[in-house]
Amino acid sequence: MAREDVVAGGAFLLAGLGLVFSGTRFPAGVGGLPGAGFFPQAIGTMMAVLAAALTLRGLRSAPTTAAAGTDLRAVAVVGALLCGYLALWGSGFFLVRTAVFLVLVLRFLGQRWLPSLAYAAALVAFVHLAFEAGLNVSLE
Amino acid sequence: MTGELIAGLAAVLNWQVLGFLAAGVTLGAVFGALPGLTATMGVAVLTPLTFWVSPEQGLAMLLGIYCGAIPAGGIPAILINVPGTPASIATSWDGYALTRKGRAGLALGVNALASAAGQLTSIAFLAFFAFPIASFALRFGPAEYFGLALLGISLMAGVSGDRVLQGMLAGSLGLALALVGLDPMTAYPRYTFGFSEFLDGISFVPVMIGLFGLGEVLSQVADRRSRSSAPKIEIGRVVPSAADARGMAGASLSGAGVGTLVGAIPAAGGDIGSVIAWEQARRASADKARFGKGSLRGLAASCSACNAAIGGAMTTMLTLGIPGDAVSAILIGALLIHGIQPGPLLFANNQSFVFSIVFLLVFACVMITAIGLLGAKPLARVLSIPPPLLWAGIVLFGTVGSYALNNAVADVWAMYVAGLAGFLFRKARIPLGPLVLGLILGPMMESNLRRALILSRGDWLDLMARPIVAVFLTAAVLSVAWPWIRSRRGSARRNHAPLSDA
Repeated sequence: MAREDVVAGGAFLLAGLGLVFSGTRFPAGVGGLPGAGFFPQAIGTMMAVLAAALTLRGLRSAPTTAAAGTDLRAVAVVGALLCGYLALWGSGFFLVRTAVFLVLVLRFLGQRWLPSLAYAAALVAFVHLAFEAGLNVSLE
Repeated sequence: MTGELIAGLAAVLNWQVLGFLAAGVTLGAVFGALPGLTATMGVAVLTPLTFWVSPEQGLAMLLGIYCGAIPAGGIPAILINVPGTPASIATSWDGYALTRKGRAGLALGVNALASAAGQLTSIAFLAFFAFPIASFALRFGPAEYFGLALLGISLMAGVSGDRVLQGMLAGSLGLALALVGLDPMTAYPRYTFGFSEFLDGISFVPVMIGLFGLGEVLSQVADRRSRSSAPKIEIGRVVPSAADARGMAGASLSGAGVGTLVGAIPAAGGDIGSVIAWEQARRASADKARFGKGSLRGLAASCSACNAAIGGAMTTMLTLGIPGDAVSAILIGALLIHGIQPGPLLFANNQSFVFSIVFLLVFACVMITAIGLLGAKPLARVLSIPPPLLWAGIVLFGTVGSYALNNAVADVWAMYVAGLAGFLFRKARIPLGPLVLGLILGPMMESNLRRALILSRGDWLDLMARPIVAVFLTAAVLSVAWPWIRSRRGSARRNHAPLSDA
């Protein structure tokens, strides 16, 4: 069994069936003309058929070896830092908030304190200059 | 005619106009090279600056940004797998593969030269065939747009490499994501889940930055410990050898042709043109397996096509007064402010101004090509930056760039979700290109099919009997069926082969 194909196929199958089902709740159209529900159902049907084919093929295939050395914990930590940074968006102090976020990310990824601080300061200053001053985008 | 030509050249051959052009090209290169900033944004932001100068000076700056941003969008696509503009998505497929093979310099050189080939070819079309091309584009109604979109979507199988089924699924997910927002015909809300931010649909640029930028960063973060040592940074030669140049010439020219025609069609730009050109080059090549893994032909075709769309869009804009893409829509506004009305009368009443535009495009092309070639080696040094610093920069620019598009935090969340999807797709070895194709072409296909059916009173046969539609549909069917037919013929041939051949 090719695990990645079976998992991906299963997920797409659920998504496809969800599209077909949800499409029935939209207006179907009048006078032979397709309505808002036509494309969701058509795309959902296509997705479900393709996903079923992928799942079946995955079940019949020889087992695949999982990729070794994937550090999912690192992805989770970076993802959590990103979500935390964005959750504080609009709370002001863009320069400080962004610099702290960058230093935390860089430290987690193994960079030393001094280069992390210097790089974060330079990057934040450049972004602030380009977007706030140059493009008049409020980042606060 | 000759007098108008000379007058047009004389109007741009002064240091002020050329200075504005150089400034525009440089700014355009910055906008194109930074993920999250696009040519459209650059032209929109800087248009007000041109109100206080002459039409030639103002247009020089805006055209400089346009011509500078599109080739520069290929630079991050090649170096860090993050397309700088939507037009350079296909550039990343072979460009980044070349960088991973230690041929970043050559990839940047091909980007510069093929972009120049695309731009110059399309400018020549603009100069010589403006009216026939524009007239052809004018024959496009909803049915023809539907046919074009369907042809583009049928390329999903082709751009999926050896993962056709997974690619088709990714493409259908892109089509599904394109459904979010108000129904294009009845304004019925679909999949908005009560959030007003989703009424306009999912913004394309944040999704692109997330899939290709954040997704790549997360993937590299996850794999950083499994790498025994840091990859050796090699830049290599920038200018292709004579043999390489000969090999790429055909792909560049065909890409330029496709890009010009697609660019001339209103609302179809370099993003669609480059994907079609890449797939066309792959089909024409004897070495199809190399496409997507560092093919110079694939890179040349995509770079040439996305740049050729500039001339195509300008052709439609100048001859018909119809914007070929978002940038030319803003350019029309800028011209109107200067009292210049694009359209057929412009060619009759102000020919010298049209020639000035042609010369400005040529000079801008020369400038950005020089920047691309001379700056290739210094730019490629970005690869010697420690990866964590590069990742942090990509994440910050992606975040701020996504937010800056509409000043909307929802766009940044969309970018993050797309980043997670990009990471998972990489792990499951699902190609990302088809998803983008579905997202771009989904709205175009749905709205035009439904408009066409209203016009034909629900008669599907009437819709498909239109000559241009029939050509597109036939090409779409062949593009899906041909790989299957070929593989069947191949297996049949193997079954009937003499035993001694086994």
